[in-house]
Amino acid sequence: MKRILTLGLVALAAAAGLTACSTKDTSQGSGPKEITFLTFETPNLTPQYWDAAIKRVTDKYPDIKVKKLVSPDQDRTTYAKQLLTSGQFPDVMIAVSPAGFAEAGNLYAWSQSELTEFQFPDNGAIKGKVYQLPANTQTIPIIYYNKSLFSQAGLSSPPKTYPELLDAAAKLKAKGITPFVVGGGHDALGPTFAGILATDVYAKNPNWMHDRRAGKVKFTDPDFAKAAGKLSDLASKGYINKRDLSRDYAGTQQAFLDGKGAMYAMGNWFAAALDSPQTKPKFEVGQFDWPSDDGSLVVPAFTGGGLLVSATAKNLDAAKKFALAFQLDKGNLDNSTTSDGLFPAVKGYTPPATTGAAFKAGYELFHQAVTANAVVPAFGFEAGDDGMLPGVVEKWVSAAADLITGKPVAQVCKSLDTEWDKAS
Amino acid sequence: MTADLAAAPTATKPPPPRRHPARRRRWPRVRHFAGFAGPGVLVYACFVLAPILVSVWYSLTNYNPFNPPTKFTGLHNYRLLFTDTEFLTSLRVTTVLTMMVVIVPNVFGLGIALLLDRRGWLYNALRSVFFIPVVLSSVVVSVIWTRLLDDDGLVNRTLRSLGVANPPGWLSDPKYALYSVGAILSWQLLGLCVVVYLAGLQGVPAELYEAAAIDGAGPVRRFRAITWPLLAPALTINTVVLLISGFKVFDHIQVITHGGPGTGTTATIAYNVLQTGFVANRRGYASAMAVLMLVIIGTVSAIVLKVLQRREVDL
Repeated sequence: MKRILTLGLVALAAAAGLTACSTKDTSQGSGPKEITFLTFETPNLTPQYWDAAIKRVTDKYPDIKVKKLVSPDQDRTTYAKQLLTSGQFPDVMIAVSPAGFAEAGNLYAWSQSELTEFQFPDNGAIKGKVYQLPANTQTIPIIYYNKSLFSQAGLSSPPKTYPELLDAAAKLKAKGITPFVVGGGHDALGPTFAGILATDVYAKNPNWMHDRRAGKVKFTDPDFAKAAGKLSDLASKGYINKRDLSRDYAGTQQAFLDGKGAMYAMGNWFAAALDSPQTKPKFEVGQFDWPSDDGSLVVPAFTGGGLLVSATAKNLDAAKKFALAFQLDKGNLDNSTTSDGLFPAVKGYTPPATTGAAFKAGYELFHQAVTANAVVPAFGFEAGDDGMLPGVVEKWVSAAADLITGKPVAQVCKSLDTEWDKAS
Repeated sequence: MTADLAAAPTATKPPPPRRHPARRRRWPRVRHFAGFAGPGVLVYACFVLAPILVSVWYSLTNYNPFNPPTKFTGLHNYRLLFTDTEFLTSLRVTTVLTMMVVIVPNVFGLGIALLLDRRGWLYNALRSVFFIPVVLSSVVVSVIWTRLLDDDGLVNRTLRSLGVANPPGWLSDPKYALYSVGAILSWQLLGLCVVVYLAGLQGVPAELYEAAAIDGAGPVRRFRAITWPLLAPALTINTVVLLISGFKVFDHIQVITHGGPGTGTTATIAYNVLQTGFVANRRGYASAMAVLMLVIIGTVSAIVLKVLQRREVDL
């Protein structure tokens, strides 16, 4: 009896010992400082892309050793929450929404002196503090269009106003061409809705989200409801195929590249796929901004999306050093423009001359908007105090799917207000 | 251990005068069984009971790790559940899905088991074929079926080649999505039912069939009078296992539909728990959902088990 109990205790002690062995503390001593880095993969951001980007920094700082973690899907923010809950919060993360983490003290707040290299050092601030490096600007969306399918429908130029967009969609549909390519989920469906909301909501009130937080506006208000009605209308007229909601992000991109639809509202990162010799489509692709009712220029964009550092990282200094070096390394910035079509928001940076034609066209559209002072936030892609409350973004994506599948607009808008109240 | 057992009854010291004699005699036996049961009970207590108790505690608070401090809120979360349309919809979705998962594999599983209850290499091979989906990971099954039922997937391409111009959006149309997921789950669990029913069928004495045949009973009569009553234990096992599997479905939803398309279509309670707890960060409220789900599963399973076991006795 005693022998059995003793054996049991010894086994438990051995298991505990083995568990303890698996966590290596490198905070002390002179060896390399190990940090964990949470990444995510897309057709543009391949494992090779991340490995090369990490290596550029570790070559510069051999005292830092990086253990790469990969989010199992596109929703890296939820994965980061799961890691936090299980005591495995990464030391460094990229493109994770800081909302919630920052308020709970899980993230390191960058000082102004650390952000001097960035063009918009206050972007994405939460209660005045910046937790995510404001590394790059993304226009969300640009409408990419298949010039060959446009020609087949007798369209010689892209639409300049929303009525012209509807007219183009009608002509495309009449020729048996699906006007818009969409998918399910935030990144595959969100940009289309963000385009409408930019012209119908943010163009009138760039502080709409701050006002929603303050309770001054609601999703049931006329402007938002009108935008929601436009999305619903596109689906009911057959310009958006509700069956496409079963596509994931990669499948949606591939569908456009395969010529399965004429227009694809997507973030400017899609330019990388158009410029890459591996994924470049056989047809010519043009770009235009989501048109407003009267044709006035409105371009939704988001600056942020960079690296975040855990406030409790064992090797905090190494994590900070890695994050800043990763974000400011010229090689990494060049690679982010060519591989992911990003516009680095770093002072003095100019994209390499080798960037592709699609990247250059998107960059030009963005600069026209900056010159015309026509840049507004990208609805559903904002961060920090500019963004929705935690948990509401996912409901917003579901609401977009509801509009496409035919739920009444008023019911969808009301449910968003209910979800907002629950999250408050 | 043997020494311990032997030593206790032959102790030289006389026992105290008739104070708890039964307890003294029982003590070595208790220690003996505790040695076997202890590690299992310890693991169960640490990894099952303790998390349940912690969840019950969280469900009585407004716990949100990103929005401290945590306050005790009593039954507020439970009261909220009964007015939360999102939760009530997920309860309806879970109930529909569970009914499908209990009925479809049971019916088809019994039919297939009756067809496979024969000797020969072909039947042995077919038994393995039907059981393969059971051992496959839910994620693998979900990915395979997502590819098949996608709008451009094999199923719709086949339908289009057969002249169906607008095949259904199996996973994207709210009218079909839940039933598609139910069909996938049923397909995966079918093999389990087949194996359990086959085991039951092989326990039915052949003499009963011979006697019934001599009495002139046909195949339907033999099934109703012999096979069906004697398969009662197999039906009980299948029903309870499927019931529990149906109620706690999460992984298929996560991979195939992400709770969509839109809202209130395929989001089950388990999926809702994760979304509320880890996306909206409302862990206290999510815990209340989880506790209620545990109570529902426990209650329904107990009732079904009781009814089916009573049927076994009656038969």
